[in-house]
Amino acid sequence: MTQIQTPGDKPVIELKNVNKHYGSLHVLRDISLSVGKGEVVVVIGPSGSGKSTLCRTINRLETIDSGEILIDGVPLPQEGRELAQLRAQIGMVFQSFNLFSHMTVLDNMTLAPTGVLKLPKKQAREEAMQLLERVGVADQAHKLPAQLSGGQQQRAAIARALAMHPKAMLFDEPTSALDPEMIGEVLNVMTGLAQDGMTMVIVTHEMNFARRVSDRVVFMDGGSIVEQDAPEAFFAHPKSQRAADFLQSIRAPEKL
Amino acid sequence: MSAPSIRERLYESPGPKTRRRIAAFTGVALILLGLLLFLIVRQFALQGQLQPRYWDFFLKGSTWRYLGAGLLSTLKAALTAAVIAIALGFLMMRGKLRRFRPVRWLCAALVEFTRGVPTLLLIYFFFLVIPRMGITIGAFWRITLPCAISASGIIAEAFRAGVNAVPVGQTEAGLSLGLSNLRVFYQIVFPQAIRFVIPSLISELVIVLKDTTFAYVVSYADLMQNAKVLITSHDSLVSVYLVVAVIYILINYGLNKLSDRMARGTKKPAEAGQAKRRPA
Ligand SMILES: Nc1ncnc2c1ncn2[C@@H]1O[C@H](COP(=O)(O)OP(=O)(O)O)[C@@H](O)[C@H]1O
Ligand SMILES: [Mg+2]
Repeated sequence: MTQIQTPGDKPVIELKNVNKHYGSLHVLRDISLSVGKGEVVVVIGPSGSGKSTLCRTINRLETIDSGEILIDGVPLPQEGRELAQLRAQIGMVFQSFNLFSHMTVLDNMTLAPTGVLKLPKKQAREEAMQLLERVGVADQAHKLPAQLSGGQQQRAAIARALAMHPKAMLFDEPTSALDPEMIGEVLNVMTGLAQDGMTMVIVTHEMNFARRVSDRVVFMDGGSIVEQDAPEAFFAHPKSQRAADFLQSIRAPEKL
Repeated sequence: MSAPSIRERLYESPGPKTRRRIAAFTGVALILLGLLLFLIVRQFALQGQLQPRYWDFFLKGSTWRYLGAGLLSTLKAALTAAVIAIALGFLMMRGKLRRFRPVRWLCAALVEFTRGVPTLLLIYFFFLVIPRMGITIGAFWRITLPCAISASGIIAEAFRAGVNAVPVGQTEAGLSLGLSNLRVFYQIVFPQAIRFVIPSLISELVIVLKDTTFAYVVSYADLMQNAKVLITSHDSLVSVYLVVAVIYILINYGLNKLSDRMARGTKKPAEAGQAKRRPA
Protein backbone atom coordinates (compact mmCIF):
# COMPACT_ATOMS: atom_id res chain seq x y z
CA MET A 1 0.00 0.00 0.00
CA THR A 2 2.98 2.29 0.19
CA GLN A 3 3.41 4.26 -2.94
CA ILE A 4 5.45 7.31 -3.73
CA GLN A 5 3.24 10.20 -4.50
CA THR A 6 4.87 12.75 -6.69
CA PRO A 7 4.40 16.09 -5.03
CA GLY A 8 1.92 18.33 -6.83
CA ASP A 9 3.19 21.39 -8.65
CA LYS A 10 2.81 23.53 -5.51
CA PRO A 11 4.06 21.97 -2.28
CA VAL A 12 1.92 22.50 0.83
CA ILE A 13 5.01 22.97 2.98
CA GLU A 14 8.31 24.15 1.60
CA LEU A 15 11.50 24.98 3.47
CA LYS A 16 14.35 26.65 1.57
CA ASN A 17 17.84 26.81 3.06
CA VAL A 18 16.57 27.20 6.61
CA ASN A 19 19.14 27.87 9.31
CA LYS A 20 18.66 28.24 13.02
CA HIS A 21 20.98 28.64 15.99
CA TYR A 22 20.47 28.31 19.71
CA GLY A 23 23.32 30.52 20.80
CA SER A 24 26.40 28.81 19.41
CA LEU A 25 24.51 25.60 18.61
CA HIS A 26 23.64 25.34 14.91
CA VAL A 27 20.41 23.30 15.26
CA LEU A 28 19.15 23.55 11.70
CA ARG A 29 21.76 23.56 8.95
CA ASP A 30 20.61 24.66 5.56
CA ILE A 31 17.42 22.61 5.62
CA SER A 32 15.49 22.34 2.38
CA LEU A 33 12.40 20.19 2.28
CA SER A 34 9.15 20.22 0.43
CA VAL A 35 6.03 18.28 1.25
CA GLY A 36 3.41 17.82 -1.46
CA LYS A 37 -0.33 17.66 -1.05
CA GLY A 38 -1.37 14.38 0.54
CA GLU A 39 2.20 13.36 1.14
CA VAL A 40 3.25 11.67 4.38
CA VAL A 41 6.83 12.48 5.36
CA VAL A 42 8.40 10.75 8.33
CA VAL A 43 11.38 12.43 9.96
CA ILE A 44 13.75 10.19 11.88
CA GLY A 45 17.14 10.66 13.45
CA PRO A 46 19.00 10.46 16.73
CA SER A 47 17.94 12.50 19.75
CA GLY A 48 19.09 16.11 19.53
CA SER A 49 19.38 16.08 15.75
CA GLY A 50 16.86 18.94 15.40
CA LYS A 51 13.68 17.04 14.46
CA SER A 52 11.46 18.83 16.97
CA THR A 53 12.98 22.17 16.08
CA LEU A 54 12.30 21.53 12.40
CA CYS A 55 8.68 20.65 13.16
CA ARG A 56 8.21 23.72 15.33
CA THR A 57 9.65 26.16 12.80
CA ILE A 58 6.96 25.14 10.33
CA ASN A 59 4.27 26.89 12.37
CA ARG A 60 6.70 29.36 13.83
CA LEU A 61 6.70 28.18 17.41
CA GLU A 62 10.41 28.67 16.74
CA THR A 63 11.78 31.50 14.63
CA ILE A 64 14.47 30.91 12.02
CA ASP A 65 17.67 32.88 11.40
CA SER A 66 17.79 32.60 7.63
CA GLY A 67 16.07 30.85 4.76
CA GLU A 68 12.44 30.73 3.84
CA ILE A 69 9.36 28.75 4.83
CA LEU A 70 6.40 28.73 2.46
CA ILE A 71 2.94 27.37 3.16
CA ASP A 72 0.97 26.81 -0.06
CA GLY A 73 3.57 28.97 -1.75
CA VAL A 74 3.09 31.90 0.62
CA PRO A 75 5.89 32.95 3.00
CA LEU A 76 5.20 32.30 6.67
CA PRO A 77 3.99 35.56 8.25
CA GLN A 78 6.19 36.97 11.00
CA GLU A 79 3.58 37.87 13.60
CA GLY A 80 0.10 39.00 14.47
CA ARG A 81 -3.21 37.99 12.98
CA GLU A 82 -1.70 36.65 9.73
CA LEU A 83 0.57 34.31 11.67
CA ALA A 84 -2.31 33.13 13.84
CA GLN A 85 -4.41 32.47 10.73
CA LEU A 86 -1.63 30.47 9.21
CA ARG A 87 -1.10 28.45 12.37
CA ALA A 88 -4.81 27.66 12.33
CA GLN A 89 -4.27 25.93 8.96
CA ILE A 90 -1.53 23.65 10.24
CA GLY A 91 -2.39 21.15 12.94
CA MET A 92 0.22 20.25 15.49
CA VAL A 93 0.31 17.22 17.76
CA PHE A 94 2.75 17.23 20.66
CA GLN A 95 4.56 14.50 22.52
CA SER A 96 2.90 15.58 25.77
CA PHE A 97 -0.62 15.94 24.27
CA ASN A 98 -1.10 19.42 25.74
CA LEU A 99 -4.84 19.21 26.04
CA PHE A 100 -6.05 22.25 27.99
CA SER A 101 -6.23 20.72 31.43
CA HIS A 102 -8.94 22.99 32.86
CA MET A 103 -11.49 22.23 30.11
CA THR A 104 -13.46 19.18 29.16
CA VAL A 105 -12.38 17.33 26.04
CA LEU A 106 -15.34 18.81 24.16
CA ASP A 107 -14.44 22.36 25.21
CA ASN A 108 -10.88 21.65 24.10
CA MET A 109 -12.30 20.73 20.72
CA THR A 110 -14.55 23.77 20.26
CA LEU A 111 -12.36 26.55 21.69
CA ALA A 112 -10.46 27.34 18.49
CA PRO A 113 -13.24 26.57 15.98
CA THR A 114 -15.58 29.02 17.75
CA GLY A 115 -12.87 31.53 18.68
CA VAL A 116 -10.84 31.57 15.48
CA LEU A 117 -13.03 30.16 12.69
CA LYS A 118 -16.10 31.80 14.30
CA LEU A 119 -18.20 28.70 13.87
CA PRO A 120 -21.54 28.79 15.71
CA LYS A 121 -21.28 26.92 18.99
CA LYS A 122 -23.79 24.27 17.96
CA GLN A 123 -22.03 23.48 14.71
CA ALA A 124 -18.63 23.38 16.42
CA ARG A 125 -19.98 20.89 18.95
CA GLU A 126 -21.47 18.67 16.28
CA GLU A 127 -18.26 18.62 14.29
CA ALA A 128 -16.30 18.00 17.46
CA MET A 129 -18.44 15.01 18.37
CA GLN A 130 -18.02 13.57 14.87
CA LEU A 131 -14.26 13.89 15.13
CA LEU A 132 -14.18 12.41 18.61
CA GLU A 133 -16.26 9.56 17.23
CA ARG A 134 -13.75 9.10 14.44
CA VAL A 135 -10.80 8.80 16.85
CA GLY A 136 -12.83 6.67 19.23
CA VAL A 137 -13.11 8.87 22.31
CA ALA A 138 -16.62 10.30 21.89
CA ASP A 139 -17.63 8.72 25.20
CA GLN A 140 -14.97 10.80 26.96
CA ALA A 141 -16.20 14.14 25.59
CA HIS A 142 -17.40 15.53 28.89
CA LYS A 143 -14.42 14.49 30.98
CA LEU A 144 -11.36 16.49 31.90
CA PRO A 145 -8.14 15.44 30.12
CA ALA A 146 -6.65 14.13 33.38
CA GLN A 147 -9.42 11.54 33.54
CA LEU A 148 -8.37 10.02 30.20
CA SER A 149 -5.61 7.55 29.50
CA GLY A 150 -2.57 8.79 27.62
CA GLY A 151 -3.70 7.14 24.40
CA GLN A 152 -7.16 8.67 24.69
CA GLN A 153 -5.66 12.10 25.40
CA GLN A 154 -3.44 11.92 22.34
CA ARG A 155 -6.32 10.80 20.13
CA ALA A 156 -8.39 13.69 21.47
CA ALA A 157 -5.47 16.04 20.78
CA ILE A 158 -5.37 14.82 17.17
CA ALA A 159 -9.11 15.39 16.89
CA ARG A 160 -8.68 18.88 18.33
CA ALA A 161 -6.18 19.73 15.61
CA LEU A 162 -8.44 18.22 12.93
CA ALA A 163 -11.33 20.39 14.10
CA MET A 164 -9.56 23.35 12.46
CA HIS A 165 -9.68 21.62 9.05
CA PRO A 166 -5.91 21.94 8.65
CA LYS A 167 -4.10 21.75 5.32
CA ALA A 168 -1.37 19.72 6.95
CA MET A 169 -0.61 18.07 10.26
CA LEU A 170 2.67 18.06 12.17
CA PHE A 171 3.36 15.30 14.69
CA ASP A 172 6.30 15.58 17.07
CA GLU A 173 6.86 12.13 18.54
CA PRO A 174 3.16 11.61 19.22
CA THR A 175 3.62 8.20 20.84
CA SER A 176 6.84 8.72 22.81
CA ALA A 177 5.08 9.60 26.06
CA LEU A 178 2.69 6.67 25.86
CA ASP A 179 2.71 3.33 27.61
CA PRO A 180 3.43 0.65 25.00
CA GLU A 181 -0.10 -0.78 24.96
CA MET A 182 -1.50 2.60 23.91
CA ILE A 183 0.86 3.30 21.04
CA GLY A 184 -1.12 1.23 18.56
CA GLU A 185 -4.41 3.06 19.02
CA VAL A 186 -2.74 6.40 18.25
CA LEU A 187 -0.82 5.05 15.26
CA ASN A 188 -4.08 3.58 13.92
CA VAL A 189 -5.72 7.00 13.97
CA MET A 190 -2.71 8.45 12.15
CA THR A 191 -2.76 5.67 9.58
CA GLY A 192 -6.40 6.46 8.92
CA LEU A 193 -5.56 10.10 8.39
CA ALA A 194 -2.82 9.21 5.94
CA GLN A 195 -5.21 7.00 3.99
CA ASP A 196 -7.71 9.85 3.84
CA GLY A 197 -5.07 11.92 2.08
CA MET A 198 -3.94 14.24 4.87
CA THR A 199 -0.61 15.95 4.31
CA MET A 200 1.56 14.94 7.25
CA VAL A 201 5.01 15.50 8.70
CA ILE A 202 5.68 12.97 11.42
CA VAL A 203 8.66 12.78 13.76
CA THR A 204 8.67 9.28 15.18
CA HIS A 205 10.74 6.37 16.38
CA GLU A 206 8.12 3.84 15.31
CA MET A 207 9.95 2.33 12.34
CA ASN A 208 7.31 -0.21 11.36
CA PHE A 209 4.75 2.55 11.23
CA ALA A 210 7.12 4.70 9.17
CA ARG A 211 7.68 1.89 6.73
CA ARG A 212 3.97 1.18 6.40
CA VAL A 213 2.53 4.66 6.20
CA SER A 214 5.10 7.09 4.88
CA ASP A 215 5.67 8.16 1.31
CA ARG A 216 9.12 9.42 2.16
CA VAL A 217 11.59 9.07 5.03
CA VAL A 218 13.80 12.01 5.92
CA PHE A 219 16.86 11.18 8.00
CA MET A 220 18.32 14.00 10.09
CA ASP A 221 21.55 14.12 12.03
CA GLY A 222 23.39 17.04 13.59
CA GLY A 223 20.89 19.57 12.28
CA SER A 224 21.14 18.50 8.65
CA ILE A 225 18.99 16.37 6.40
CA VAL A 226 21.47 13.61 5.65
CA GLU A 227 19.30 11.71 3.22
CA GLN A 228 15.72 11.16 2.15
CA ASP A 229 14.18 8.34 0.23
CA ALA A 230 11.12 6.15 -0.20
CA PRO A 231 10.68 3.99 2.90
CA GLU A 232 11.46 0.60 1.26
CA ALA A 233 14.65 1.93 -0.25
CA PHE A 234 15.69 3.79 2.88
CA PHE A 235 15.17 0.94 5.30
CA ALA A 236 16.66 -1.68 2.96
CA HIS A 237 19.62 0.29 1.66
CA PRO A 238 20.41 3.51 3.52
CA LYS A 239 22.84 5.50 1.39
CA SER A 240 24.74 7.19 4.19
CA GLN A 241 26.84 5.51 6.84
CA ARG A 242 25.16 7.66 9.54
CA ALA A 243 21.70 6.45 8.58
CA ALA A 244 22.94 2.86 8.48
CA ASP A 245 24.46 3.27 11.96
CA PHE A 246 21.26 4.83 13.26
CA LEU A 247 19.08 2.04 11.89
CA GLN A 248 21.51 -0.48 13.33
CA SER A 249 21.36 1.18 16.76
CA ILE A 250 17.59 1.17 16.97
CA ARG A 251 17.30 -2.36 15.66
CA ALA A 252 19.89 -3.77 18.02
CA PRO A 253 17.64 -3.99 21.09
CA GLU A 254 15.05 -5.96 19.15
CA LYS A 255 17.54 -8.72 18.49
CA LEU A 256 18.32 -9.26 22.18
CA MET B 1 -10.66 13.00 44.07
CA SER B 2 -8.70 13.48 47.31
CA ALA B 3 -5.00 13.99 46.77
CA PRO B 4 -2.84 12.90 49.70
CA SER B 5 -2.02 15.84 51.97
CA ILE B 6 1.55 17.04 52.28
CA ARG B 7 1.80 15.40 55.69
CA GLU B 8 0.77 12.05 54.24
CA ARG B 9 3.34 12.46 51.50
CA LEU B 10 6.20 13.36 53.85
CA TYR B 11 5.70 10.72 56.53
CA GLU B 12 4.89 7.08 56.31
CA SER B 13 1.80 6.08 58.24
CA PRO B 14 2.68 5.45 61.91
CA GLY B 15 3.01 1.95 63.34
CA PRO B 16 1.64 0.90 66.76
CA LYS B 17 4.76 1.96 68.68
CA THR B 18 4.88 5.34 66.99
CA ARG B 19 1.19 5.82 67.59
CA ARG B 20 1.66 5.20 71.35
CA ARG B 21 4.52 7.69 71.41
CA ILE B 22 2.45 10.30 69.56
CA ALA B 23 -0.36 9.82 72.08
CA ALA B 24 2.07 10.28 74.99
CA PHE B 25 3.57 13.45 73.52
CA THR B 26 0.13 14.84 72.77
CA GLY B 27 -0.89 14.23 76.40
CA VAL B 28 2.20 15.96 77.78
CA ALA B 29 1.77 18.89 75.40
CA LEU B 30 -1.88 19.31 76.38
CA ILE B 31 -0.99 19.30 80.08
CA LEU B 32 1.73 21.92 79.54
CA LEU B 33 -0.61 24.06 77.49
CA GLY B 34 -3.29 23.84 80.17
CA LEU B 35 -0.70 24.81 82.79
CA LEU B 36 0.39 27.82 80.76
CA LEU B 37 -3.19 28.94 80.29
CA PHE B 38 -3.83 28.51 83.99
CA LEU B 39 -0.79 30.63 84.85
CA ILE B 40 -1.86 33.39 82.48
CA VAL B 41 -5.39 33.48 83.82
CA ARG B 42 -4.10 33.36 87.39
CA GLN B 43 -1.75 36.26 86.73
CA PHE B 44 -4.63 38.28 85.28
CA ALA B 45 -6.76 37.38 88.29
CA LEU B 46 -4.00 38.44 90.69
CA GLN B 47 -3.78 41.76 88.86
CA GLY B 48 -7.53 42.17 89.20
CA GLN B 49 -8.17 41.91 85.44
CA LEU B 50 -10.94 39.36 85.90
CA GLN B 51 -13.07 41.69 88.00
CA PRO B 52 -16.61 41.96 86.63
CA ARG B 53 -16.25 45.69 85.91
CA TYR B 54 -13.75 44.85 83.18
CA TRP B 55 -16.08 42.40 81.55
CA ASP B 56 -19.71 43.19 82.30
CA PHE B 57 -20.07 45.80 79.54
CA PHE B 58 -19.71 42.94 77.09
CA LEU B 59 -23.18 41.91 78.21
CA LYS B 60 -24.62 45.12 76.76
CA GLY B 61 -25.88 45.13 73.20
CA SER B 62 -24.48 48.57 72.57
CA THR B 63 -20.92 47.31 73.10
CA TRP B 64 -21.36 44.67 70.45
CA ARG B 65 -23.12 47.03 68.11
CA TYR B 66 -20.21 49.40 68.45
CA LEU B 67 -17.65 46.66 67.84
CA GLY B 68 -19.85 45.37 65.02
CA ALA B 69 -19.81 48.76 63.32
CA GLY B 70 -16.03 48.78 63.66
CA LEU B 71 -15.81 45.28 62.23
CA LEU B 72 -17.98 46.27 59.29
CA SER B 73 -15.72 49.24 58.56
CA THR B 74 -12.68 46.99 58.81
CA LEU B 75 -14.19 44.48 56.41
CA LYS B 76 -15.22 47.22 54.02
CA ALA B 77 -11.75 48.74 53.98
CA ALA B 78 -10.04 45.35 53.72
CA LEU B 79 -12.29 44.14 50.92
CA THR B 80 -11.94 47.35 48.93
CA ALA B 81 -8.17 47.31 49.46
CA ALA B 82 -8.04 43.66 48.37
CA VAL B 83 -9.98 44.32 45.17
CA ILE B 84 -7.77 47.28 44.29
CA ALA B 85 -4.62 45.34 45.19
CA ILE B 86 -5.65 42.42 43.00
CA ALA B 87 -6.41 44.74 40.08
CA LEU B 88 -3.10 46.59 40.48
CA GLY B 89 -1.23 43.31 40.97
CA PHE B 90 -2.78 41.89 37.83
CA LEU B 91 -1.80 44.94 35.78
CA MET B 92 1.77 44.86 37.11
CA MET B 93 2.01 41.13 36.32
CA ARG B 94 0.79 41.75 32.76
CA GLY B 95 3.32 44.55 32.46
CA LYS B 96 6.18 42.43 33.72
CA LEU B 97 5.40 39.76 31.13
CA ARG B 98 5.35 42.26 28.25
CA ARG B 99 7.93 42.07 25.53
CA PHE B 100 8.21 45.88 25.37
CA ARG B 101 11.15 46.60 27.68
CA PRO B 102 10.22 50.02 29.15
CA VAL B 103 6.84 48.68 30.31
CA ARG B 104 8.53 45.67 31.79
CA TRP B 105 11.07 47.77 33.66
CA LEU B 106 8.46 50.20 34.92
CA CYS B 107 6.33 47.38 36.28
CA ALA B 108 9.34 45.62 37.80
CA ALA B 109 10.26 48.87 39.56
CA LEU B 110 6.69 49.31 40.80
CA VAL B 111 6.65 45.77 42.13
CA GLU B 112 9.91 46.28 44.01
CA PHE B 113 8.75 49.62 45.37
CA THR B 114 5.37 48.42 46.61
CA ARG B 115 6.88 45.30 48.12
CA GLY B 116 9.69 47.18 49.81
CA VAL B 117 8.01 50.18 51.34
CA PRO B 118 6.32 49.68 54.76
CA THR B 119 2.55 50.07 54.81
CA LEU B 120 2.73 52.64 57.60
CA LEU B 121 5.00 54.84 55.50
CA LEU B 122 2.47 54.75 52.65
CA ILE B 123 -0.28 55.64 55.09
CA TYR B 124 1.68 58.66 56.28
CA PHE B 125 2.19 59.58 52.66
CA PHE B 126 -1.56 59.55 51.98
CA PHE B 127 -2.31 61.14 55.34
CA LEU B 128 0.31 63.88 55.44
CA VAL B 129 1.84 64.42 52.01
CA ILE B 130 -1.13 64.11 49.67
CA PRO B 131 -3.20 66.77 51.52
CA ARG B 132 -0.24 69.18 51.24
CA MET B 133 -0.44 68.69 47.49
CA GLY B 134 -3.92 70.11 47.71
CA ILE B 135 -5.70 66.81 47.19
CA THR B 136 -8.25 65.91 49.81
CA ILE B 137 -9.33 62.34 50.30
CA GLY B 138 -11.46 60.86 53.03
CA ALA B 139 -10.29 58.67 55.90
CA PHE B 140 -11.61 55.56 54.15
CA TRP B 141 -9.31 56.03 51.16
CA ARG B 142 -6.41 57.16 53.34
CA ILE B 143 -6.32 53.69 54.84
CA THR B 144 -7.60 51.68 51.87
CA LEU B 145 -5.25 52.96 49.17
CA PRO B 146 -2.00 52.47 51.12
CA CYS B 147 -3.06 48.96 52.16
CA ALA B 148 -3.94 48.16 48.55
CA ILE B 149 -0.69 49.52 47.13
CA SER B 150 1.36 47.79 49.76
CA ALA B 151 -0.18 44.41 48.86
CA SER B 152 -0.20 44.90 45.09
CA GLY B 153 3.45 44.05 44.41
CA ILE B 154 3.29 40.79 46.31
CA ILE B 155 0.09 39.89 44.51
CA ALA B 156 1.71 40.73 41.15
CA GLU B 157 4.52 38.31 41.96
CA ALA B 158 2.06 35.64 43.07
CA PHE B 159 0.20 36.01 39.76
CA ARG B 160 3.45 35.83 37.83
CA ALA B 161 4.55 32.69 39.66
CA GLY B 162 1.16 31.17 38.87
CA VAL B 163 1.40 32.04 35.19
CA ASN B 164 4.93 30.65 34.99
CA ALA B 165 3.79 27.44 36.66
CA VAL B 166 1.45 26.64 33.77
CA PRO B 167 3.32 24.27 31.45
CA VAL B 168 4.55 26.04 28.31
CA GLY B 169 2.98 23.27 26.21
CA GLN B 170 -0.44 24.73 27.04
CA THR B 171 0.55 28.02 25.41
CA GLU B 172 2.10 26.28 22.42
CA ALA B 173 -0.98 24.16 21.87
CA GLY B 174 -3.14 27.28 21.97
CA LEU B 175 -0.92 29.17 19.54
CA SER B 176 -0.72 26.23 17.17
CA LEU B 177 -4.52 26.22 16.94
CA GLY B 178 -4.38 29.81 15.70
CA LEU B 179 -5.53 31.45 18.93
CA SER B 180 -4.22 34.97 19.47
CA ASN B 181 -1.79 35.71 22.30
CA LEU B 182 -4.57 37.47 24.17
CA ARG B 183 -6.93 34.51 23.91
CA VAL B 184 -4.19 32.11 24.89
CA PHE B 185 -3.53 34.15 28.00
CA TYR B 186 -7.11 34.75 29.10
CA GLN B 187 -8.69 31.46 28.05
CA ILE B 188 -5.89 28.99 28.65
CA VAL B 189 -3.03 30.23 30.80
CA PHE B 190 -4.67 32.51 33.34
CA PRO B 191 -7.56 30.21 34.29
CA GLN B 192 -4.99 27.56 35.12
CA ALA B 193 -2.65 29.98 36.87
CA ILE B 194 -5.40 31.23 39.14
CA ARG B 195 -5.59 27.83 40.80
CA PHE B 196 -1.97 28.07 41.87
CA VAL B 197 -2.49 31.61 43.05
CA ILE B 198 -5.58 31.33 45.26
CA PRO B 199 -3.77 30.21 48.44
CA SER B 200 -1.18 33.00 48.31
CA LEU B 201 -3.89 35.47 47.33
CA ILE B 202 -5.83 34.62 50.46
CA SER B 203 -2.75 34.80 52.70
CA GLU B 204 -2.20 38.25 51.23
CA LEU B 205 -5.80 39.12 52.05
CA VAL B 206 -5.12 38.24 55.67
CA ILE B 207 -2.18 40.64 55.64
CA VAL B 208 -4.35 43.36 54.11
CA LEU B 209 -6.90 42.81 56.84
CA LYS B 210 -4.21 43.10 59.48
CA ASP B 211 -2.77 46.20 57.81
CA THR B 212 -6.13 47.95 58.12
CA THR B 213 -5.51 48.13 61.88
CA PHE B 214 -3.30 51.11 61.01
CA ALA B 215 -6.61 52.90 60.48
CA TYR B 216 -6.15 54.63 63.86
CA VAL B 217 -3.43 56.73 62.21
CA VAL B 218 -5.97 58.32 59.89
CA SER B 219 -8.85 58.20 62.42
CA TYR B 220 -10.91 55.78 60.39
CA ALA B 221 -13.34 54.06 62.73
CA ASP B 222 -12.37 50.44 62.14
CA LEU B 223 -12.62 47.58 64.62
CA MET B 224 -9.31 48.50 66.23
CA GLN B 225 -10.17 52.18 66.51
CA ASN B 226 -13.53 51.41 68.10
CA ALA B 227 -11.82 49.00 70.47
CA LYS B 228 -9.57 51.83 71.58
CA VAL B 229 -12.60 54.00 72.29
CA LEU B 230 -14.13 51.20 74.35
CA ILE B 231 -10.89 50.86 76.25
CA THR B 232 -10.85 54.51 77.24
CA SER B 233 -14.52 54.66 78.12
CA HIS B 234 -14.45 51.52 80.27
CA ASP B 235 -10.83 51.69 81.37
CA SER B 236 -10.46 48.05 80.41
CA LEU B 237 -7.48 47.35 78.19
CA VAL B 238 -6.95 43.63 78.59
CA SER B 239 -10.50 42.42 78.17
CA VAL B 240 -11.19 44.52 75.06
CA TYR B 241 -7.92 43.62 73.39
CA LEU B 242 -8.53 39.95 74.11
CA VAL B 243 -11.99 40.02 72.58
CA VAL B 244 -10.81 41.98 69.53
CA ALA B 245 -7.86 39.66 69.03
CA VAL B 246 -10.22 36.70 69.06
CA ILE B 247 -12.40 38.39 66.42
CA TYR B 248 -9.41 39.00 64.13
CA ILE B 249 -8.14 35.48 64.66
CA LEU B 250 -11.54 33.97 63.85
CA ILE B 251 -11.85 35.94 60.61
CA ASN B 252 -8.37 35.09 59.46
CA TYR B 253 -8.81 31.47 60.50
CA GLY B 254 -11.94 31.41 58.36
CA LEU B 255 -10.05 32.87 55.41
CA ASN B 256 -7.25 30.34 55.73
CA LYS B 257 -9.74 27.49 55.93
CA LEU B 258 -11.36 28.84 52.79
CA SER B 259 -7.97 28.91 51.09
CA ASP B 260 -7.28 25.31 52.11
CA ARG B 261 -10.63 24.20 50.78
CA MET B 262 -10.18 26.00 47.47
CA ALA B 263 -6.66 24.67 47.06
CA ARG B 264 -7.94 21.17 47.60
CA GLY B 265 -11.02 21.63 45.44
CA THR B 266 -9.10 22.68 42.35
CA LYS B 267 -6.43 20.43 41.01
CA LYS B 268 -3.16 21.96 40.06
CA PRO B 269 -2.59 21.85 36.30
CA ALA B 270 0.80 20.20 36.68
CA GLU B 271 -0.80 17.30 38.51
CA ALA B 272 -3.71 17.12 36.15
CA GLY B 273 -2.38 14.47 33.85
CA GLN B 274 0.45 16.04 31.95
CA ALA B 275 2.14 13.37 29.94
CA LYS B 276 4.78 11.26 31.50
CA ARG B 277 8.05 12.43 30.09
CA ARG B 278 10.34 9.97 28.48
CA PRO B 279 13.68 10.94 27.01
CA ALA B 280 13.27 11.36 23.28
N1 LIG C 1 14.99 26.24 23.55
C1 LIG C 1 16.23 25.71 23.35
N2 LIG C 1 17.32 26.40 23.75
C2 LIG C 1 18.55 25.89 23.55
N3 LIG C 1 18.81 24.73 22.95
C3 LIG C 1 17.75 23.99 22.54
C4 LIG C 1 16.41 24.44 22.72
N4 LIG C 1 15.58 23.52 22.21
C5 LIG C 1 16.36 22.53 21.72
N5 LIG C 1 17.67 22.80 21.92
C6 LIG C 1 18.79 21.98 21.48
O1 LIG C 1 18.71 21.87 20.09
C7 LIG C 1 19.08 20.56 19.69
C8 LIG C 1 18.00 19.96 18.85
O2 LIG C 1 16.87 19.75 19.64
P1 LIG C 1 15.55 19.04 19.12
O3 LIG C 1 15.08 19.74 17.91
O4 LIG C 1 14.61 18.96 20.26
O5 LIG C 1 16.09 17.60 18.73
P2 LIG C 1 15.27 16.25 18.52
O6 LIG C 1 13.83 16.56 18.50
O7 LIG C 1 15.78 15.71 17.23
O8 LIG C 1 15.65 15.35 19.65
C9 LIG C 1 19.38 19.78 20.95
O9 LIG C 1 20.77 19.74 21.14
C10 LIG C 1 18.72 20.58 22.03
O10 LIG C 1 19.43 20.45 23.23
MG1 LIG D 1 12.33 15.95 19.84
